[in-house]
Amino acid sequence: MTTITRVDHSFNEALPARPARLRRFVRETALLVGRGLQTIPRVPSRLSDVTIQPLVFTLLFLYVFGSAIHIPHMTYQNYLLPGLIGQSLAFGVIGAGVATATDFGSGVIDRFRSLPVTRLSVITSQVVGQIIEQILGIVIVAGIGLALGWRPHMSPWGMFELVLLVLLGLSAFTWFGVLMGMIVKSSDAMQGIGFAIVFPLSFLAGTFVPISGMKTIPRAIGEWDPLSALVAAIRKVTQGTPAHGSWQLEHPVVSMIGWCALIIAICVPLALRRFKLSN
Amino acid sequence: MTENFARSEDPVVITRGLTKRFGDFVAVDSFDLEVSAGSVVSLLGPNGAGKTTIVRMLATLSEPSGGTASVCGYDVVRDADAVRSVLSLTGQFAALEDNLTARENLLLMARLRGYSKGAASRIVEGLIERFDIGEFRDKLVKSVSGGQRRRVDLAASLVVQPKILVLDEPTTGLDPRSRQVVWSTIRDLVGEGVTLFLTTQYLEEADALADHIVLIDHGRATAAGTPNDLKARIGDQRVDIIAVDLESLDKLTAKLSGGFSVAVSRDQRMISIPAPNELSDLRAVTAALSDDGALVDEIALRRPTLDDAFLALTGQPSHPTNDTTEQEEVRA
Repeated sequence: MTTITRVDHSFNEALPARPARLRRFVRETALLVGRGLQTIPRVPSRLSDVTIQPLVFTLLFLYVFGSAIHIPHMTYQNYLLPGLIGQSLAFGVIGAGVATATDFGSGVIDRFRSLPVTRLSVITSQVVGQIIEQILGIVIVAGIGLALGWRPHMSPWGMFELVLLVLLGLSAFTWFGVLMGMIVKSSDAMQGIGFAIVFPLSFLAGTFVPISGMKTIPRAIGEWDPLSALVAAIRKVTQGTPAHGSWQLEHPVVSMIGWCALIIAICVPLALRRFKLSN
Repeated sequence: MTENFARSEDPVVITRGLTKRFGDFVAVDSFDLEVSAGSVVSLLGPNGAGKTTIVRMLATLSEPSGGTASVCGYDVVRDADAVRSVLSLTGQFAALEDNLTARENLLLMARLRGYSKGAASRIVEGLIERFDIGEFRDKLVKSVSGGQRRRVDLAASLVVQPKILVLDEPTTGLDPRSRQVVWSTIRDLVGEGVTLFLTTQYLEEADALADHIVLIDHGRATAAGTPNDLKARIGDQRVDIIAVDLESLDKLTAKLSGGFSVAVSRDQRMISIPAPNELSDLRAVTAALSDDGALVDEIALRRPTLDDAFLALTGQPSHPTNDTTEQEEVRA
C-alpha cells in the first residue's frame, strides 16, 4: 500500500488540552443544551406545545367552561391560573419523555456517547434543556393570565417561593419524563402513554374545578395524587387560598416538596442506571 | 494524541473471546480479531450476524458479557474514555441531529471535542469542502438525501482524525452513485493512513475496500483471509443449477460430483459449481447433464454472492430458513 501525503486543513488544528473533568462537564452540558434549544423553533409541534396549547387552554376554560364554574370568594382567573401553571409542570413529563425517546431512537445519543465527552453531560443536558423549554411555556401561561385578569397576591418572599417550587416541580417531573422516555423508547408511544396518564390526572387535580365537589372516586384520587399537591401548592403561594379535604391539600407546600423529593430520589438513580446500561 | 500515525504491524484492535449475550441469545460468541495499524479489515456477514454488536462493544456503547477487547492498548471497559478519544464510529443509522443543518451538526461535534468556536468553524469549513457538503451545508439534515447524510455523518467522525475509524455498514441503503462516493472517500482516508474497520453485507464492498476480510455468522468468525484468498476459495464465477425437486437434485448431484467440485444446498435445491473459466465451464457442466429425467428448473452463470461465500467457505448457507423463503417468494 502506498502512502499518499496530502495537505488537509481539517486536521491541522491541534486538539486543545483537556480541561479538568468538572469544567468539561459544564462546557459539554452547555453545548448540548444549546443544541436542544436551537432545534425548538424548527419543530412546529414543540413550539406549539409551549405556546398555542396553553393559550387555547386558558381561553377555553376562562371563557367557555369558566362561565359555568363558580368558585366562592374569588374570580375564576385567580382560581384557574395557578392550576394551569401546575398543569404545565405536569405536561413537562410528556415533553421530556417525547424528546428523550426521539433522541434515543435516532442514534444521536449513541453518537454523543461514543465521543470522549463526560457521559453525565449527555443526560444532564436533556434535563436542563427540557426545564428551560418548560419555563418558557410557564412564562407564556402566566403572561396570558396576567393579561386576562389574573391577580396573584404575593409578597416578594412569595414570588421567591413560587420560583423555587416551580423549579423543584420541573426538576422532578422532567427527570420522571426522561426516565419514561428511555424506557418507552418510541416518541409516538410516549406521547400516547403520557397523555393517557397526565391528561386525566391533571383534570382531577383541582386544576379547573375544586376537588371537594367531585364524586367519591375522582375525589379520592385528587385528594392524594402528586399533581393535586402541585396545583394546591402553587395556588396557596400565589393566592394564599388553602384547599380542603385531605392532609395533603391542607399542607400543599410541604406535600409538594415531599412528592418532588420522592420522585427525584426514585427517578434520578434509575435514569442514570438505565443510561449507563443502555445497550 | 500528537504523535503521527506510523504504520506498524502492531495490532490496534485486539479482541479475545469477545462475547455478548442478550438474555439467552448469544449475539457474539467468542470472537477473536486483530486489526493492524494502517490496514483495512472488513467484517462480512448477513443481517443479524453480530456485526453491529461487535462494533458497539469496540465503541464502548455496549459492555461485553465475556472476553476482552482493546483499542490502541486501551481496554474498552476499564479505559472507555481513552478508547473514545482514539476510535471514531460512524453507525449504520446516521446519527445526526435531524433538526440542525449539516454545518451546525459538524460544528457541534467539533465543539464537543474541545475546540474553540474559531477553530471549530475552520475545521468544519475544511470538512465541508472535503466531503463536498457545500451545496447542502445550510439545509436541515432531515431534508437531505441518504447519500448526503452519510457524507455528513462520515465528516462528523473525522472532526479529529481518529487512529481507527469504524464504519458500520457505510453504504447499506445507498444508491449506486452515492455508494461510489462513499467508497472513494474511504479510499482517500486509507491513503492517509487511517486504520479502518468496516462491516458490510456486500461481498463486493469488502472486496473493493478491505485488505483482510473476516466472515461472520451467528456471532462467530467462520473464515478469514485476504480478498484474493477468499475469492480463490469461492471461485470467481459460479454455475448454479436449481432442480425442480429433491429427487432430481440427487440425480444431478450424483452425475456432477465426479467431474466437478460441487456445493449442494438442499434447502434451495441448488448445486453450485465454481466456474473460473466462465462460459467454457458452463458448457462443460451442461454437457455433463445428459437427459435422463432429472428436471432442471434453472441453470445460470453468475458472480458469487455473500451466500456463495458462506456456502463455499463454511459448507452451509448463512441463514438457511430465510434464504429458502426468499427464493420461494421470488419464484412464486
